[in-house]
Amino acid sequence: MVQYDMSPDRLSTTFQALADPTRRAILARLISGEASVTELAEPFEMSLPAVSKHLRVLQRAGLITRGRQAQWRPCRLEAGPLKDAADWLEHYRRFWAQSFDRLDDYLTELQRKEKGHGRSD
Amino acid sequence: MDAVTSATAEAGERELVITRIFDAPRHLVFQAWTEPGRVARWWGPQGFVTTYSDMDIRPGGTFRVCMRSPEGAEHWKQGVYREVVKPERLVFTFAWEDAEGKPIHQTLVTVTFAEQGDRTALTLHQGIFETVERCDDHRRGWTSTLQRFADYLAENQ
Repeated sequence: MVQYDMSPDRLSTTFQALADPTRRAILARLISGEASVTELAEPFEMSLPAVSKHLRVLQRAGLITRGRQAQWRPCRLEAGPLKDAADWLEHYRRFWAQSFDRLDDYLTELQRKEKGHGRSD
Repeated sequence: MDAVTSATAEAGERELVITRIFDAPRHLVFQAWTEPGRVARWWGPQGFVTTYSDMDIRPGGTFRVCMRSPEGAEHWKQGVYREVVKPERLVFTFAWEDAEGKPIHQTLVTVTFAEQGDRTALTLHQGIFETVERCDDHRRGWTSTLQRFADYLAENQ
């Protein structure tokens, strides 16, 4: 339940890349298909170099890949690291949910004992 | 069993937030988190048994716990308590250990306990941090105040 197929460092890189709202918006745009840097820059009041910088972060994290064409290098979403990040959160969500089920039972048991104790006094 | 749970875990967010209502008074829920003998009773998935527990629950104190799965696999977890504010707030770092006992992927867990009549609303945030230093940078500003508050509580019980 605690093993991951990826190195912890890579997970950190993924989360770091996801920590920025502009980068998340770029990824959201890429869900609907490939796009050029110019297209990706459109919704933001941001220079092309600034957008390119965000793209480099996403690329280093493996969240996007870029086409080989010299002029039009379309950006494409890569689902793998996103899935790993979601799996990581899901792992902990399950871990806590199951712990909390047990905590719930334990608290019920404690209170039953307290009440029982009160009656016997 | 009257528990309500909600959880959000957006892939785009790097923080897990879980809220749950426990049908028990706040002091009891807080005790269940802060007394080692009690923590061992529930911390871990169904069927897991705590086989080793060393918990020093005070600001700066560390914990190291081993859970054994129903299949017999041992899982070690470790961390450092950052804030212990009775009965409302608990902050600690949390990491699983690799085979060599080194922490894998440090996270920061913040648990708040809010009274709702006779019940308790527990909210757990778990954030991912590249290093502990980084999370310290975030918190340095006001942790010392809470630390003093926690020390005061510890001395005056």
